[in-house]
Formats: sequence, C-alpha cells, structure tokens
Amino acid sequence: MNKAYVFFLLCFILPSPVFGASSSVELKPVFIDLGNKASLQRGAQIFFNNCSGCHTLQYHRYSKLVNDLNISEEMVRSNLILTTQKSGEPTKLGSTITNSINHDSIKEAFGVVPPDLTLTARSRGPEWIYTFLTSFYEDDSRPMGVNNILYPNVNMPHVLWYKEGLKAYNENNQLFLKVDGQLSQKEYEQEITDLVNFLTYVSEPAQLERYTIGFWVMIFLVFFAFITYLLKIEYWRDIK
Amino acid sequence: MSKFVAWIDQRLPVSKFVRNHLSEYYAPKNFNFFYFFGSLALFVFILQIITGIFLTINYKPDAASAFASVEYIMRDVEWGWLIRYMHSTGASFFFIIIYLHMLRALMYGSYKKPRELLWLFGMFIFVLLMAEAFMGYLLPWGQMSYWGAQVIISLFGAIPFIGESLALWIRGDYVISDATLNRFFAFHVIALPLLLFAVIYLHIAALHTVGSNNPDGVEIKANKNPDGTPVDGIPFHPYYTVKDIFGLAVFLTIFMFVVFFMPEFGGYFLEKDNFVPADPLKTPEHIVPVWYFTPFYAILRAIPDKLGGVIAMGLAIFVLFLMPWIDRCKVKSIRYRSSTYKILLASFVISFIGLGYIGMQAPTPILTALGRTFTLIYFAFFVVLYFTSKNEKTKPVPERVTMHE
Repeated sequence: MNKAYVFFLLCFILPSPVFGASSSVELKPVFIDLGNKASLQRGAQIFFNNCSGCHTLQYHRYSKLVNDLNISEEMVRSNLILTTQKSGEPTKLGSTITNSINHDSIKEAFGVVPPDLTLTARSRGPEWIYTFLTSFYEDDSRPMGVNNILYPNVNMPHVLWYKEGLKAYNENNQLFLKVDGQLSQKEYEQEITDLVNFLTYVSEPAQLERYTIGFWVMIFLVFFAFITYLLKIEYWRDIK
Repeated sequence: MSKFVAWIDQRLPVSKFVRNHLSEYYAPKNFNFFYFFGSLALFVFILQIITGIFLTINYKPDAASAFASVEYIMRDVEWGWLIRYMHSTGASFFFIIIYLHMLRALMYGSYKKPRELLWLFGMFIFVLLMAEAFMGYLLPWGQMSYWGAQVIISLFGAIPFIGESLALWIRGDYVISDATLNRFFAFHVIALPLLLFAVIYLHIAALHTVGSNNPDGVEIKANKNPDGTPVDGIPFHPYYTVKDIFGLAVFLTIFMFVVFFMPEFGGYFLEKDNFVPADPLKTPEHIVPVWYFTPFYAILRAIPDKLGGVIAMGLAIFVLFLMPWIDRCKVKSIRYRSSTYKILLASFVISFIGLGYIGMQAPTPILTALGRTFTLIYFAFFVVLYFTSKNEKTKPVPERVTMHE
C-alpha cells in the first residue's frame, strides 16, 4: 500500500481537528467595504509586500487590479508585479497572480505548501482571515516561535510581527504585548481590515458591480411585475 | 400575413396547434397561487438549458482544470458570473418550484383519476431532476462536490452482491475521479436533459389530454356550454398567459434578488467548502448534500443500518409514485375532505421540512431521535392514508367551481 492510500484511510479514522482547521474560537467581526478603493489599494499593497512571496492568487489577474482598484498599469507593473517569466522578462499584465516558490523546498521549510488565497474569503469567510491574522502569539515550542489561537499549531510564521509586535501569554494566562511593533494595535487592526477587504474583493470581483446592477434590475422587475399585474387585471375583468 | 399563415398551415398545422393548446385550450377559471408553479417549472427548465449552454462554452470537464475553469467563468468571461449564478440559483429554485408543484397535487388530488399518468410522468421528472442536479453538483469540482458524490455513490455499495461493482461501474474508478467527472458531464449536459425534455413533453401532453384539475377538484368538462366549451373553463390564451406572465415577473423579482444579492444564500445554494478545490486526501469536517436532497438524506441517516437506510430512502421516493392508488378517496380537493386528511397532510409537510432541516445538521442524539420520528410520520402518512381514505367522511363537492376573490 502506498503512503497516499494509508493517509486516505487515516482521514476516515482520525477526527477532523487533525487538519488543524477547526476550533471553537469566536470569530471577530470585520467591516468589509468594497466601495472603499483606498482601503482595497492599501490591502493590495500589504498583500504584495508581505504575502505574495508565499501565497498566490492563482485565479486572479494583475490586469483586473487596474480597473477594479483604480490604479495605473504603470503602478501595477512597477509595484505589484514582483515576478518574472522563465525567460527573465517581467511577468505580463494579463497573467494570473502566481509566484516562483518551489513547492518541494517550501514544504521542507514550512511543512506545507502555503495555500492559494484567491477564494479563502469565500471558503472560510472574511471574519476568519481577520481573526487568524490578529491571533498570533509567542510560543517557543513551535518551530517558528509563534502559535495561533484560531488555528492551533499552524505552520505559518507571524509574517506581520514587525508591524503588530509580538503578543504572549503571561503567568495569569492573559495576552500582553511583549515586543512592540511599528504600529499600534489599532493601526495594525486597520491594516488587517484593509488586507481582508482586498482578499474579499479578490474572492469575488463581481461583487464590485453585482449590487449596483442588481439594484437597477430590481427596479425594472418590480415595475415590470406591476405592469403585468395591470395587464392581468384588464384581461380578467370579464371573468366572473 | 394571413396568406403566409395559410401557406404554413397547408404544410404544418401551426394554427391548429395554437388553437388546440393555447387559444382554445380551456383551463378552469379558479386557479389559485399554487397553479403558477407548472409554467414556472417550465421556465426554469429552459433557463437552465440556456445558461447551461453558455457555461459549457467555457467549462472544462477535466479534474485538473474544472475548478479553475469555473473561476475563469466567474472572473474573466464577460457576464460569466451572472450566467453561473443564474444556473446555480436556478437549480435551487427548480426544486422549490417542484416541491410546491407536488404539494399542490397532494392538496387538490391532482393525481387522481383520470390524471394518474400525468402524476407518474411528473414523478419521473422529479427523479430525473434529482439525478440531473446531483451530477451537475460534481462539475465545479469543489470539496463538497467531490465528497458529496463520494458519499452518495458509495450508498450503492450497500446493495447486496452487486453493490460494490455497481458503484465501481457508476464511478468508472475506485474513487471519484476524472473518469467520473467526464461521464457526469456527459449525463448532465446531454443525456439527462434529453430525457427530461421527453418526459416533460409527455407530462404536458397528458395534461392537455385530460385537462387541468383545480382547487375545487371539480371536472370542468362535466358542465358544457351549448358550443361544447366548459362553462367554468377559460381559454388558456390570453387569460392564463397574461396571468402566468405576471407570476413569472414576481418570480423573477425574487429569483434575481437572490442572484444579485445573495447567490450563496447563506451557504445553502453554494456551500462554503465548495470554494476549495476537490482534494481526495482531505475529507471536509461535515459532508452535507445540498438542501433539496436533505429530507431524503435525513431518512437515510435515521435508519441505523446502511442497507436499511438506502432502502428507506429509495422507498421514500418510490412510495410517492403510488399516490394515485394509495389515496382511495373519491373527493379530490382538500377543501371538501375530512379533517383526518388535513391533519395527515399537515404532519407530512411538517415532517418533510423537519427532515430537510435535520439532514443539514451534524447528527446529535436529539436530532437523530427527531429524525426517526419524522421518518416514521413520513411513511405513516401513506399507510394511514391508504386505510382511512377509502371510507373518508367528506363534505359535499359543489357542481361548479367556486371563485374566491
């Protein structure tokens, strides 16, 4: 029997927390506002500066960012496209947002291949991402020196620790800020909100237009229903 | 124009067809709310075909690229997201409509003589529709597509002797795989729609042979004008075409509201886990079928034995086919039937909705007990009805239909 098959069987026997995704931690609310372009732009900036080295947005394209986020092609090319094609040419604007990590070596370093984040805001929800990114704390027993309240024993390091600082538990089992970061807790939470806002947009770009179009479609349909109602009444006048 | 029509009519009886099925097809004048769902079901069927054609233009039935092709439709195809949401929302609304359409038949005895065949064709449509929806749900190739299909197909394995080989034959592999996806795509886009089309044709042909029932359960053909038209009948066109267009407009308002403002419908129409690509090595914590299957799924889970559960689930659907022969009461409409039937039907509906809810939840001892109770009520409906309906105390049925304005 090969290893994959054994693992497949184990999946049925072991309870699900083995996969580390489940926990009963209460999710923190996050205010999503896709109409706030500035927030989406800041979120994109945070993503490409801190996350894109390991995480891809493989179903999304750079070119979409130009129209959807109101940023110039030049800005996308110079600030967001950080990769090259195999030939050494810069990655094209129409490409999907991938990166150049080697799956074998990153697996060796972190134990897992970092997941693609295109749809995380849909599969886990914006609140989940927000809570996850604000729930890191110091834990010397972990290889990366940090652990996560929402996702215990996660393999991801606290990449944004230089912004947030490092939280730790004191002897009374209460969290306190052990090492200061560049930002205050409030500023950090704002940056994470921007990032989650951006990832929510990426998970479903159609949201930017769907509500506006939907509004007009609703107005039309209500009007249409009213007209057809009058038509029905008119035709049925003689039915007793 | 009339010359042109005459030219056509000599070669193809179009005018005759329009007369027979629209302008001189007489329907009872007392249809109520429940009579919108037949034409709406036909509309949604056509909507699913049209949106489906557009989806297949960009969808790739290949385990390696199916998931990405759906995201491609959602992002890069012009209006792809709208087409896809209409199709996914359409699937759920199809079942809402069909369930209400069936409830209508139970309320007004629309399966009774002379409409037994009409009901049987309807039941075949229902079963085909379940197969169509089940196979369509695999195509996005998300985690719930994959594991839902894995669970449901493994049920065939419970059948003695041939079960395992049957499940293998359906999947075309030992697990759900590329081979399964390809054949499900073939069934979903051509085989089942063709069959559905044929049975829907028969359903409507049978309907137009016997004519519609109505909320009073009175046969309008029993009272005719001197010219041979039913006294209580009105031509389908224009009366019911304008009425159904109004019904369609109201339906579209609700439907498009869901499409534009809540296409996931809180995870009931598009499940969260289905935004994760299928992974044969990772079982989701909680595998739930889509809402329209959960009543039957709850019946499956209510029986502690796997084979027993599969039999109960199959029986729950099969027994509906027998309704024309289980319900032996001569009076059709619930308006003139005994309170026994009213109580029976009410408890059947409550147990069906209850089972639907329980089928979506992770099992707990209380829910399991409740699920068994509802399963019992579900089957008791048919058994009790068979014995009580023969000598039911009914109210006098009026000679003519009544109008409630």
